[in-house]
Amino acid sequence: MAGLIQNIELFGADFPRLEGLREKGRAAFRLPTPKTEAWKYTRLHTLKAEDFAVPASKFIAEFEDESGDEDAAESCHCGKDGCDGHHCNGHCHGPDCRLDLPFNAWQLHFYNGQFVPIYPALPRGVEVMTLMEALLNGEENHLLGKYIELNDYPFAALNTAYLEEGLFIRIGRGVRLERPLMLINHTDCGEINQMTHMRFLVVAEEEAAADLLEYYHYSGEAKSRYFNNIVSEIYLGTGAVLNHCKLQDEAFKAVHIALTTVQVRGGGVYNGFCLQKGADLGRNETRVRLVDREAKAEVNAAYVMNGWATLDTTTDIEHLAERTFSSQLIKGVVGGEAKGVFQGKIRIAPDAQETEGRQLHKAILLSDNAEVDVKPELEIYADNVKCSHGAACGELDQEQLFYMRSRGIGEDEARRILIDAYLDDVIGRVQNPEIREWFRSRV
Amino acid sequence: MNTPLLEIEDLHAKVAGKEIIKGFNLVINEGEVHAIMGPNGAGKSTLSYLLSGKPGYEITSGTVKFRGRDLMALPAEDRAREGVFLIMQYPVEIPGVPVTSFLKHAVNAVRKYHGEPELDTMEFIKMVREEGRKLGIDAEMLKRPVNVGFSGGEKKRLETLQMAVLKPQLAILDEADSGLDIDALKVVADGVNSLRDGKRSLLVITHYQRLLNYIVPDFVHVFADGHIVKSGGKNLALELEEKGYAEFVKEK
Repeated sequence: MAGLIQNIELFGADFPRLEGLREKGRAAFRLPTPKTEAWKYTRLHTLKAEDFAVPASKFIAEFEDESGDEDAAESCHCGKDGCDGHHCNGHCHGPDCRLDLPFNAWQLHFYNGQFVPIYPALPRGVEVMTLMEALLNGEENHLLGKYIELNDYPFAALNTAYLEEGLFIRIGRGVRLERPLMLINHTDCGEINQMTHMRFLVVAEEEAAADLLEYYHYSGEAKSRYFNNIVSEIYLGTGAVLNHCKLQDEAFKAVHIALTTVQVRGGGVYNGFCLQKGADLGRNETRVRLVDREAKAEVNAAYVMNGWATLDTTTDIEHLAERTFSSQLIKGVVGGEAKGVFQGKIRIAPDAQETEGRQLHKAILLSDNAEVDVKPELEIYADNVKCSHGAACGELDQEQLFYMRSRGIGEDEARRILIDAYLDDVIGRVQNPEIREWFRSRV
Repeated sequence: MNTPLLEIEDLHAKVAGKEIIKGFNLVINEGEVHAIMGPNGAGKSTLSYLLSGKPGYEITSGTVKFRGRDLMALPAEDRAREGVFLIMQYPVEIPGVPVTSFLKHAVNAVRKYHGEPELDTMEFIKMVREEGRKLGIDAEMLKRPVNVGFSGGEKKRLETLQMAVLKPQLAILDEADSGLDIDALKVVADGVNSLRDGKRSLLVITHYQRLLNYIVPDFVHVFADGHIVKSGGKNLALELEEKGYAEFVKEK
């Protein structure tokens, strides 16, 4: 069986900064065992039992293609139903190419973890480029991987070992985006057990404001097995605001592991929300560092699951300066034999006085075999702080169910209404009203 | 003779292993208003939950027929769809579900059951506002989550509104006057009375005679120890108010 670290050809092997990062990733990667504390509730047997293949580098293929006839290369002639022959670099996936969304967004598409190089017309002050471009021309400015201890984040190490696909996004000083930037990954890998490693580097400069939306879905066989491993690094400058939402709706046998690290400077605000509803094994991990005075972060999440899935939400919020604020609301709905995991850490440094950190996790179990494992951790080294954490776990309220049924609402519909209502407050924290409605419609 | 709307015959039922209903008989025809009065602990609420299909109530013998059909064989939602509606003593709070959307789910579920098309949203909202206005329920209240933070009076008004939009054949009022001041009581009674069209029937379950001043029954039954001990006309309620239940309870 091939391990997850495979010897494949990647772009830019002769570029020291890039190859140096990859080498660190390869050296640091160890698949977590049941004894690894940060992974003790989340079983990784799916990853151990299968072989996964990394798609061949598209960058190498492109650079070897000397024809220079870009237009011809990018027009689609696949003739698939729904293909309108627009440029998608041969990666046509039918109607999904143009997502029919109820709101306008600047869409950036990935297909099986590889960027489809069609750029929307972005306003001035916003730059989007592939990570490889950003690394080659120095735009990345050594931010990549700067605050990720690869020994502690094994899948970030794995991602770094395959560093190639991904985007660098910079929102310039004072730029306020009127539409969300949307990152969309379509997976359609057929019979291949595919493994992808996307990486995003997002810099919002001073006083910039933007909505960033990530969307992972599959457009192939419902039973396809694949592994998407994503790392996002976000830097918010002084007073910058980023509303970052994510919908994980992978195929039901897929593995989706994501780490987002966020650094917030003074007065900056990070509002995160992630809804996980797909995948057999899903982990969405968010690490926030509030580095200057009055930096704020909300890290909210919801998970809805059934079958045999394991969905893990892990957070680590570090308050490193005075008067910083963080709030977390995580809500889960677990049915079947599924297992929800929440690990939430709040750390308050000795100097971070007058800070506030709140955390609340709630879940409902829909069946006797559903399970939720919760591990809240508070590490407080300052003495003048407000911190709270809570966890609650229950069932759907039988009185509410009967009340609705006694009004003619069928039991299944009543359950659905109650589940939607249960998640309403956490989804209600999504800042952008259009995106909020979209999440409501997708629960 | 027409089939009675509701026909309960020698009903015995248990809750948590304890027999609460013991040989209960009652026939309600179309258009009739029956009041069941009884002391606390007689099994009045149990009877209303049994009829509306709340889980956890076990029938040991007897039959309940609604328009000749075995009502007990139907799940709670189908009883409501067939036209049995319970105004609850303690309506349940449902956070996160606004009144209007809750009502829309209910009305459309009932319409669907009868093979009727779903109501257009605008039409529906207009209808609910109109019915709400009659009961002193304003548009703001319709946007609030069902019963959350509602006063006792507001809860009963909302129950009455639900009844008004669902237009049941048989409405069961379980202690509909508990927690109501006199003004709210009148509003609820007016709402209930407006359903009385000679075809719809009411079963009013109450401890006090007060409500029956506003919803005047055709028949009054005294309910004690799990069954009816005496039946009569509306004057029986007045008699009860005067003498109390003790005498009737002894009669058995």
